[in-house]
Amino acid sequence: MKRSWASLEEFQKFLDHGGIVEPVDDMPREYRQTVFDFIEMHANSELMGGLTERDWIPKAPGLRHKMSVIAKTQDEIGHAHLLYMVAADLKIKTREEMMQDLFAGKSKFHNVFHYRAKTWGDQVAIAFLVDAAALVSQQAVFKNCSYGPYKRILKRIIAEEGFHLRFGEESVLRIAEGTEVQRNMFQDSINDWWWPALQLFGPDSKPNDLLLRWHIKSERNEILRDRWIQKFVPLLQGYGFTIPDSGLRRNEEKDRWEIGPIDWKPLKQTMIMGGPDSARRISEASDSWEKTGWVREALEKVSA
Amino acid sequence: MVKSVLSSAIKEYLLAFADDEHLMGQQHTEWIGIAPFLEEDMAFASIGQDELGHASMLYALILEGSSEVDAFIFNRKPEEWRSCQLVESNHQNWEEALMRHWCYDMAEDLRWELFRESSLPELVLISERALKEEKYHRQHADALVENLLKVSTSKSRLMKALEGIVPEVLELFSSIPGETEAISSGLVSGKYCDKLPTWRSRVENRFGVLDQKLFATSDHQARTKRHLDFAPLYGRIREVFLLDPKAVW
Repeated sequence: MKRSWASLEEFQKFLDHGGIVEPVDDMPREYRQTVFDFIEMHANSELMGGLTERDWIPKAPGLRHKMSVIAKTQDEIGHAHLLYMVAADLKIKTREEMMQDLFAGKSKFHNVFHYRAKTWGDQVAIAFLVDAAALVSQQAVFKNCSYGPYKRILKRIIAEEGFHLRFGEESVLRIAEGTEVQRNMFQDSINDWWWPALQLFGPDSKPNDLLLRWHIKSERNEILRDRWIQKFVPLLQGYGFTIPDSGLRRNEEKDRWEIGPIDWKPLKQTMIMGGPDSARRISEASDSWEKTGWVREALEKVSA
Repeated sequence: MVKSVLSSAIKEYLLAFADDEHLMGQQHTEWIGIAPFLEEDMAFASIGQDELGHASMLYALILEGSSEVDAFIFNRKPEEWRSCQLVESNHQNWEEALMRHWCYDMAEDLRWELFRESSLPELVLISERALKEEKYHRQHADALVENLLKVSTSKSRLMKALEGIVPEVLELFSSIPGETEAISSGLVSGKYCDKLPTWRSRVENRFGVLDQKLFATSDHQARTKRHLDFAPLYGRIREVFLLDPKAVW
């Protein structure tokens, strides 16, 4: 049954009391747009994450690893698929339009997927650090998400991301106990991926953050970021790796790890498609999309 | 030392199948993320996993329980591989990837059928599992092909790709090393090349009668000659391994 609200204040009260919005509801325009933008960026990021990792599937060291990374990439693309459908139901853009915008560099995706996975160590670092950061964020959204369809598919996404993280943990453990070549490779990956993964949470949330007010996110960026730091600093140090942060220190009084100042310039660059691998990533994706356009056109003709 | 159950001829015979499955799965992985739409990315990923899974089970059988499966697979020299050229060739276009998928999977169940009453119980189990999965592979490829053949522009792309692939498929069916012993020992129920007419009728039922010349030529060298595209493929497969032969990943 379609529901509507007389004013934004009433809608806010509904959300504050744990109300769940469904696509058929007559939701406020600003809410619809905010939810759409958030889900579209999540969908784009899942797809671009799959593309970041696809480079290393053919090179995976062993049949079991190969099957694992295929399954992982399949999951990421599957998440994109589900998220695009949920976003399309908001009737702001079709799935086709969202993908066209992505390949034209007109819509955003997470900062970490503007970097290139240059080694197998990077592939493992993505599963270990980046997937963990994404999982922390997604769990916080799932906890109190006011948009029903998004909350429901996040349940599945979170379950699958948990497997990805375990793949990363298992691989890091073997590398940590491995040869000097393996350890050096992974230390280089930590050096390259630590800060981008940490910046995935974004700058501190603003006091008037709409995503928090409308219960799309349930926790502030800085709290989520800190949760990730408290987990990964001791883990990596325990494995004998170094964190590339000269300002990192242990605050014994608070029993917490404190990091040095964050340079937000790299994050800002990715937001304007100026990250280290943004141009190649977009142009390759766009090129493949164009080259296979004949298939989509033919199937459209058949179904017309 | 435990005496090997499988003779070297039979291992050679199984290796040809394992290598074909491995490289077919490997080739499918190259298309994940760059297919025409997301559903196809996922389908190629799923089919690729199945083929690699089949390869893994066959390699395990050949190595009779050894834990050194990866070392065996990845440390071999090119001349020690027994894959056919169809799975070694690098296809640049999606129509070629789709047609290879169609042609290979229309041939694969015919190969697994030969193991259904094998004297080796493990092979019977593997073939039963593979045949269940292969049914979906064929359905996937054929549903897409059926629709794309309805539009003249996409039909001409598929037909051109098919003409390039048919001669490569003939090598897939050609004499497999160790086949004589595999048949006499009851490992398989017959020659794979005897299934070629069935495959051809599947092709002609779907695409119409093809030029006879396509079926007349094949560079049969008992899978000992590697395709020109094998070298870069071999390089990619072994890239991480070669960083440190002592490493366990």
